[in-house]
Amino acid sequence: MAYSDKVVDHFNNPRNMGSFKKDEEGVGTGMVGAPECGDVMKLQIKVQNDTIVDAKFKTFGCGSAIASSSLATEWLKGKTIEEAQKIKNTDIVQELNLPPVKIHCSVLAEDAIKAALADYQKKADTK
Amino acid sequence: MDGHTHQHTSGRRELQMARSMCWHCQSEVSGEYFCDRCVKVQPVSKELDYFTCFGFPRRLSIDQQKLEAKFYELSRAFHPDFYQNKSDAEQTISLGNSAMLNTAYRTLRDPIQRAEYLLDLEAGSVKDIRTTPPADLFEEILELQDTLDEFRASDRTSDTAAALRTQLQTERAALEQRQRDMESQLQQLFGRWDALQDRGEATDQARAERDRILKDMRDILSNRTYVKNIVNDLVATIA
Repeated sequence: MAYSDKVVDHFNNPRNMGSFKKDEEGVGTGMVGAPECGDVMKLQIKVQNDTIVDAKFKTFGCGSAIASSSLATEWLKGKTIEEAQKIKNTDIVQELNLPPVKIHCSVLAEDAIKAALADYQKKADTK
Repeated sequence: MDGHTHQHTSGRRELQMARSMCWHCQSEVSGEYFCDRCVKVQPVSKELDYFTCFGFPRRLSIDQQKLEAKFYELSRAFHPDFYQNKSDAEQTISLGNSAMLNTAYRTLRDPIQRAEYLLDLEAGSVKDIRTTPPADLFEEILELQDTLDEFRASDRTSDTAAALRTQLQTERAALEQRQRDMESQLQQLFGRWDALQDRGEATDQARAERDRILKDMRDILSNRTYVKNIVNDLVATIA
């Protein structure tokens, strides 16, 4: 089974790889994993005035998982919190042409977005 | 031709089938892989779980010799080579049964796969349920991956690389120890599961114990996968 060109592109030139300091102002961190394959994904957002100004990820897993999270950070930048909530794994599947066996990678990316948003919200609420 | 012989079916009575009518002669099939009347091979029902297929209860400790013996017995019974001169329908059934049998055997033979399969049966698919990963384990893995990246990028002859290698080797030993710990925890849980099944109680307490065992097994099994992956990465990089 071959990866689509878009997956290969994201895999070879991952966008926004890296991390922010977890306790930095406005940073939300989502860490998720896929127990079936052992992939680990960390996705972070930096929020200012309700808008995601920057996003970073670190993923250790297969090409599709890396591509899914790389794409997710690209999409997150510039979105408001509300818009970001609406990103669905099916959008990622469509954009990257993921085959059925790799759909769980996109689910992982969606979970990571949700976890990062929830973490940001939690930090904002407790302030 | 298809005499009313029962010799092929004797000894297979403990095997259950979810279906009851012979596809060939429409007579009742009373729990074997072969029709009592026309001796035609019967397709193994998709509903049949692997434990039942081998005539085993849903226990996590399995007699490997018995499992193997049963596998060989059924392999002979279903093997496509013995169906070359039979009808197309029988050849198809023989192929399907053989494939199912091989998967069932591979699954039950390995203790980890056996446990994952049991979880599948008992608690819905393990894979569908997102276990919330332990944050500290993830932190640790991500940190280790960073160190691994650092080592990969370093000049292997430098002092920095040597120091990193020593650090990674220590980490590897610690993780391998943790793998062993998890495996013995699993063994304990397997024992508790089997004992609980043997008691066969239907109390609230027994049900709570059952759920707790299944959940603990699932958690350890998924953590085990994360640890296994990082250990593989470590081995591949520093070896």
